[in-house]
Amino acid sequence: MSKTELEKAKAFVLNTGRSLMQGISMEEESKWSKKYFDAVAVVEMNPIDISSLGVRDRVKVYNEHGSIVLRVKPSNNVPPGTIFIPMGPWANMLTDPETDGTGMPRLKGVNVFVEPTDEPLTKLIDLLKALGAKQLEVYMEDAPLKTGDKKVVENVVCPFCGDLCDHLTIEVDGNKVVRNIGGCAISSAKFLNYHRHRILRPYIREQGRLVEVDLDKAIDAAADILAESKYPLIFGLASTDVETNRYAVELAELTHGVVDNTSVFCHGPTALAVQEVGAVRYTFGVAVHLADLVIFWGCNPLEAHPNHVARVVMREGRFVRGRKERKIVVVDARRTPTANLADLFIQIEPGRDYELLTALRMAIRDLDIEAPTVAGVPRDKVVELAEMMRTTKYGVIFFGLGLTMTGAKYKNIVAAIKLVQELNEWTKFGILPMRGHYNVAGSNQVSLWTTGYPYAVDYARGFPRMIIGMTSATDLLSNGDVDAALIIASDPVAHLPRKAVEHLSKIPVIVIDAKWSLTTAFADVIIPGAYVGIECEGSAYRLDEVPIRLKKVVDPPPCILCDSEVLRKLVEKVKAKKGVSS
Amino acid sequence: MSEILIKNGIVFDPLNGINGETLDIAVKNGKIVDLSQINPSTALVIDAKGKVVMPGGIDIHSHIAGAKVNIGRLMRPEDHYLTNKPHKLPIRRAETGLTVPNVFRIGYDYARMGYTLVVEPATPPIKTRHTHEELDDIPIIDKAAFLLVDSNWLALDLITMGSRELLASYLAWLLSTTKTYSLKLVDPGSDITWVLTGRGIDIDDQIPAYNITPRDIIREMGYAAQLLDLPHKLHIHCNRLGYPGNYLTTIKTMDITKDIPRLSDTPVLHVTHVQFTGYKGDCWSTLESGGEDIAKTLRANPHVTLDLGQVILGRPSTTMTADAPFEYVLYHLTRWKWVNADTEVESAAGIVPYAYKKRSYVNTIQWVIGLEIALLTSDPWRVIPTTDHPNAGPFKDYPVMFSWLISRRAREELMKEVNQRALRKAVLPALETEFTLYDLAIMTRAAPAKLLGLGKFKGHLGIGADADIAIYDLNPKEVDPSREYEKFVKSFKRAWLVIKGGEIVVKEGEIVKTVYGKTYYAEPEIPVELKKELEAFLAKKFKEYYSITKDSFIIREHELRNPVKIPLETRIKG
Repeated sequence: MSKTELEKAKAFVLNTGRSLMQGISMEEESKWSKKYFDAVAVVEMNPIDISSLGVRDRVKVYNEHGSIVLRVKPSNNVPPGTIFIPMGPWANMLTDPETDGTGMPRLKGVNVFVEPTDEPLTKLIDLLKALGAKQLEVYMEDAPLKTGDKKVVENVVCPFCGDLCDHLTIEVDGNKVVRNIGGCAISSAKFLNYHRHRILRPYIREQGRLVEVDLDKAIDAAADILAESKYPLIFGLASTDVETNRYAVELAELTHGVVDNTSVFCHGPTALAVQEVGAVRYTFGVAVHLADLVIFWGCNPLEAHPNHVARVVMREGRFVRGRKERKIVVVDARRTPTANLADLFIQIEPGRDYELLTALRMAIRDLDIEAPTVAGVPRDKVVELAEMMRTTKYGVIFFGLGLTMTGAKYKNIVAAIKLVQELNEWTKFGILPMRGHYNVAGSNQVSLWTTGYPYAVDYARGFPRMIIGMTSATDLLSNGDVDAALIIASDPVAHLPRKAVEHLSKIPVIVIDAKWSLTTAFADVIIPGAYVGIECEGSAYRLDEVPIRLKKVVDPPPCILCDSEVLRKLVEKVKAKKGVSS
Repeated sequence: MSEILIKNGIVFDPLNGINGETLDIAVKNGKIVDLSQINPSTALVIDAKGKVVMPGGIDIHSHIAGAKVNIGRLMRPEDHYLTNKPHKLPIRRAETGLTVPNVFRIGYDYARMGYTLVVEPATPPIKTRHTHEELDDIPIIDKAAFLLVDSNWLALDLITMGSRELLASYLAWLLSTTKTYSLKLVDPGSDITWVLTGRGIDIDDQIPAYNITPRDIIREMGYAAQLLDLPHKLHIHCNRLGYPGNYLTTIKTMDITKDIPRLSDTPVLHVTHVQFTGYKGDCWSTLESGGEDIAKTLRANPHVTLDLGQVILGRPSTTMTADAPFEYVLYHLTRWKWVNADTEVESAAGIVPYAYKKRSYVNTIQWVIGLEIALLTSDPWRVIPTTDHPNAGPFKDYPVMFSWLISRRAREELMKEVNQRALRKAVLPALETEFTLYDLAIMTRAAPAKLLGLGKFKGHLGIGADADIAIYDLNPKEVDPSREYEKFVKSFKRAWLVIKGGEIVVKEGEIVKTVYGKTYYAEPEIPVELKKELEAFLAKKFKEYYSITKDSFIIREHELRNPVKIPLETRIKG
């Protein structure tokens, strides 16, 4: 880099996260589409930074992990000195694989340099090549639709986010979903496009190309990989049902491998905090009927859980009559759409939540806070919030990855839970994580009852162990510890830092999914699965751990089995190959 | 399924009046059959000569599944670290955990002790799907669950309205909808008080937002249980659990049976883990045993049964209960970890790790209370030994607890190590009662089977019973368990052979096969005339109260691995 270029470049703090368009585009058009590219390959910057850097339409963002060129979108919601890139493979070229022994890569608060550029925008293909993808073809097909019998299915459960809305009315014509009443924009995109861009046949990679095979052969090839592996990683599981999770644990036990779910890079730190101090939880209905103070901390439900606010905050409760009797507080590093709903918005410096939480714990005990500002928040505001908290009748906190991924990571959550435990000396208070995938909570539950641990469970010695920072997926991959991977209904290539993804190019990978994820570019065996909640029945856990049974609305495409059935067959095959059939 | 012939066992089968007789038992198709029904030349013959043969054990109260157990596992990783047992596939899955074991260990450890049926005693309706998912994954044993109903807003609405028939119908609907077996009251009325005010209440205190008291709840639920003619009427954890002086509340609770009209001849209510509600004294330093008073009250109330919640000294525990306000208090005593979970419309729960210490004054008194009640009442048909697993101790220690009941010497050995100041205040050291193996078979087999209303096919070895059989390597003709209690403990910790549903699952204390048992649930009939009214009530209240639809609330039979419906004729009038 020349001297002038260095002068032009400026240090920024990168935050990544969900956005509404990221969710909609991936459900509507798949991650291989232009729409997804437009939604995700973009960097949001404050106009002040744009003009001071002299940016025209694009910038180069880089650090020691990677370098990408992205289109710039001006946004006043992003504070100067920081940039926002929606979660996805672009952002992950820059994120930090170091988990500090927490299993959680640094996906927010990452140090990057930004400079104006005229270089071409980084395309998906460029990224995948850089990551070492095994093949770049995708054979996206739409499942054949046949109109015919019209029916209306009531009380359908949405298999998208952790809110598990169960009040949807889905209108079906034959096997075509024609209407989704009650679902949010992402839910509609998911149901109306469920048939599009599907994996409709099993494939095996032969001589660098995907070859179509029958299901038995694909399962046999997958079983070979797992049976021969010394230490496989079985990963994903947050977007499928409880039954599939049960088989996944059995498979890990059978192969002396590791079973991990996506909570490792979302609310894994929350589970670690519960291990340390406990939890104070509530279900949605408790918040509806009793909460007169609702705090959203480091989360943006309007975009990530679009129906959440309507269901929990606006709804009239028995003892609190809806929004007018509730105060809303939002604590976030950027002014999110959710922040615009707030009675009080507290903009915090990225990565400094632990300080603010500690200050609140002090303020609640009437201890003096000497610093005039804490984490960028004036002292008076800290005291004001503390006073609101301890004088409420029933307060609730919903928190997101803004708290789990940044700064002190799981210690943030420890501090938040301690704060809530202490607030119970004054009043009633609870705290809940906003879980992303619709059954990520269920993955933790199944893992707990079968192994005693919520995720990152290793069976190398024939019994379960969770050694966080070692047996967690990001660490296993970025340290190159596992020699095979089975990815179930998840897309680590779109979610994990570069170094972790690169290892997938070096080991045999099996993908079970309904759609062509980016991880399919790294797959040696691809087995299609049907959608739980649309094509298969199955149970899942809402983010407040209320278990809900998802319905089947239409039949799966021909010859495609539910995930649990695929896994059941796979378990049987691996058992036979290992000689442990009962 | 093969035929099995157990020869020359020393059989203890109280429901059939068999007390240590040497008998042969035949098994075919998972049932106990007449000897003539099997072919002795092809049947698998088990020589049980000089060994105790009993029906499979039944635990009427053990927290083995559901939301609170699982969050207990989450908050206590340290419970798993040193308790691992690698898998032995395909025979046995990997095991871990002591106070909050994984599902596999729960099933295997119960089976190793010769237990074949266990009841999860507290599941909130909205989270019962979770409870079933865990129960389904527990190997070997049969299961059932009791449903939490004491702070249920719909039930409280109906009690306030005075609609007794509709209340009974609603409870009938709840049981069959959630696939559960009986009704459970936990610190009645306290969870609604807790979510509204952060406190618990006593039996005659007013419940906020309702014009009733816990006494009203117990009486009305008790009457509803009569109308439903539930096999196990009402399982109750008394108010003020864990507070010094609470034995008075327990006595008042037991006396409520006098206000409940009896429509059938089974017990009216079952007071659970009575040790925790048997505290005399006005603070922790003056704590004394209320055992004598409770034993006296039990004698005066023939329609009450108890289980102990016996403390196991020297063991850690993970206390977990729907008595959320009490766990909050306990958290202030322990100051370590605390989980609270408020559950909409129905209940709440608290979880706090704890450890019972031999030298502790309070813990010793707690240990004394359970034993005093069992020994003073001396009524094995009405007093069931439990540890309220994992609250007073892990179920794994049952054989140790039994040794205190059958051997004065075992008690005296432990008394040497406990807090002596506490012992001086207790009558326990003077008690000479020693239960026999027959009594033990009553307390752990016959009585719980009868209390659950499953005595036709569980808890005995007569023809037609399920072939759930435990054989222990103990010859009571040579070994006196009251003197050589260590030998007794050893043999009961690891049964010599266990048959579950006609299959051999344990040999010499080791699991030899993983099978999965049944889940029993009650389906009380609802009169047609009331169904419409009930539906209208449910539709309105679900919309008003719950954050899930009624459709999502209903658990279908096909969701369970192996459900067995127990249809009940009721006395509800339309």
